Amino acid sequence: MSTIDLNFEEELKTFCENTALACFNCGTCTAVCPLVNDNFPRKMIRYIQVGAKDAILENANELYKCLHCGLCTHTCPRQADPGEIILGLKRFVVANWRRS
Amino acid sequence: MFSPKDIIDVLAQNVRQTMSPFGIPRFMVNTWHKDQNLPDDGEYLLYTGLMYQFAPYIEKSTHYLESFEDTAKARYLKYARYVPGYLSGAGLALMTRARKKSEAGQPLKNVVRLLRQSRVNFGYRPDLDHYSGILLYDMGDQKSFIAHARKVAQKLQRAKINKIITIDPHTTYALKELFPKYTGAHFKVVPYFDLLNLGPQNADLEVTLHDPCFFGRYLKVSDIPRKVLAGLGIRETRIRNSKDFTSCCGGPAESVSPKLSSRIMDIRAKELAEPGKPIVSMCPICLGNLKKAGADARDLSSLLVQHI
Repeated sequence: MSTIDLNFEEELKTFCENTALACFNCGTCTAVCPLVNDNFPRKMIRYIQVGAKDAILENANELYKCLHCGLCTHTCPRQADPGEIILGLKRFVVANWRRS
Repeated sequence: MFSPKDIIDVLAQNVRQTMSPFGIPRFMVNTWHKDQNLPDDGEYLLYTGLMYQFAPYIEKSTHYLESFEDTAKARYLKYARYVPGYLSGAGLALMTRARKKSEAGQPLKNVVRLLRQSRVNFGYRPDLDHYSGILLYDMGDQKSFIAHARKVAQKLQRAKINKIITIDPHTTYALKELFPKYTGAHFKVVPYFDLLNLGPQNADLEVTLHDPCFFGRYLKVSDIPRKVLAGLGIRETRIRNSKDFTSCCGGPAESVSPKLSSRIMDIRAKELAEPGKPIVSMCPICLGNLKKAGADARDLSSLLVQHI
């Protein structure tokens, strides 16, 4: 069972400019993503919004499929910068691996 | 898919020990300049970031990764971190064909010829030409990236370098955008095609351009190579995804999943092949990937050299 961490959104600010709360989950990022895979990156951004830190760590490998191509950021209607958020999550995950 | 943690650990260790993601000693990688009679001083410093030189090693290592992906052997990758970087790098260098290594230097020689033709005042310092660390940045290993970028930037600053000519999109982005942000080092960074003045020609040729993501979307310089090509009478075909809406070649995923990379590359290669014209790009990663998918792809510099 995943738990919710209400401070996660704040914690992520150490790793990137966290614009996840600007996202209104329209799914444009997922539609344009070359991965065409399982609601990526929208799902990850949703996890941040609800504080599902454990879910992100459990699915950490998924983040590394991201090509950092920037198409999601380029097309986001809310300027939520999904590409930078995914990069921030990778940094968060690496820091977590190094700590553990 | 390989464990990203294992891949990152190996890459970070290699970069830390050898300043190269593959651990290959620099004297084995960077040999293209030896017959070029290049001055070590000039208004600009030519900076390759070793990306073109790495292309044959990327091809070779990806070939091995492909054969181990999703097999029982994949889990042994984590032990690679116990092998000294120089040792594994020298091994990879020995397994890579000499012809491939020599071919990898050709685009760099083309760029030298184009810059000379355009009367650009530049020099080259192999002792300052280092890998930018961009893959560590892309993989989220921020600490290792910053440590490496600082080393590289300090060497350039100590040599009082102000203006830099880059060749590939990854190094250009790292030096132009990331170095100022994370190391405080500011240089005037210009991709080589922005300095070309090749004079009018009438090549009467049509090509399909593949914009690398960093040039097309992040740095928004797609119009510059198009102007250079137009000046030589080379026209561009219309494709669905280009310039700032370009499609990724799949290259960035090849270290963690060659299968995924190949799937994305096939989609892009089909798009580019549709007009039936030669495909031209300006990134060693994109070119390597497109060729792997069977595309008739060539480097921008080789096309330009052919028509000056």
